[in-house]
Amino acid sequence: MFEIAAIVIVLGAILVLYRALKGPRVYDRALAVNIIGTKTVILLALIGFIYERPHFLDIALVYALINFIATIAFLKYMETGGLD
Amino acid sequence: MKEHIIVRVIASILIPFIQLYALYVIAHGEIGPGGGFQGGVIFSASIILYVLAFGMEEARSRISQKMSDLLSSTGALIFAIIGLLCILAGGSYLEYDQLPLGTPKLASHLGIYGIEIGIGITVAAVLITIFFEMAGRKDD
Repeated sequence: MFEIAAIVIVLGAILVLYRALKGPRVYDRALAVNIIGTKTVILLALIGFIYERPHFLDIALVYALINFIATIAFLKYMETGGLD
Repeated sequence: MKEHIIVRVIASILIPFIQLYALYVIAHGEIGPGGGFQGGVIFSASIILYVLAFGMEEARSRISQKMSDLLSSTGALIFAIIGLLCILAGGSYLEYDQLPLGTPKLASHLGIYGIEIGIGITVAAVLITIFFEMAGRKDD
């Protein structure tokens, strides 16, 4: 059951990766990268269930907490040309 | 980023939780995933988010250059002092269970805990310094 869900998540991430590579505007790419990060959170939780190692939930939690920082930094760099 | 109120509100909500999680990762480094280095990296990620949302001057007024330099050497000093205390207690360097802290198992636990705290302080301060130096550069 969890395996099927994980495979579906990976297929969805591949679809989003097409948008990240192709994406006509830079905002499409930023959004695609952010969605891949969100899918990674769910994939980590599913891997924790599949291999019965609940420590993976900790890693999923830290990924959920900090994966949007890269997106904010990227968009700020695109807008202002600097990070400060 | 004075006009982006969404980024500032979300950052001010999430930064305490990221820092709390960093302390959790440091404290539970021996029984779960993580440790001093990972917790320090997560802690510095919260400071980076603060810089992105509120600007460099505001962040430098919270954490000055002097303070981050001081913290980065304080963590290494904690590491070295705990290692030398193990020598003074009769063991070799970083042999925690020789520390006079109750049973050897408890002493080993507390020794590793202190080491992780030192590593976390150093890594967080050094990564904050690296980000400040790279983001504050204007010439290229």
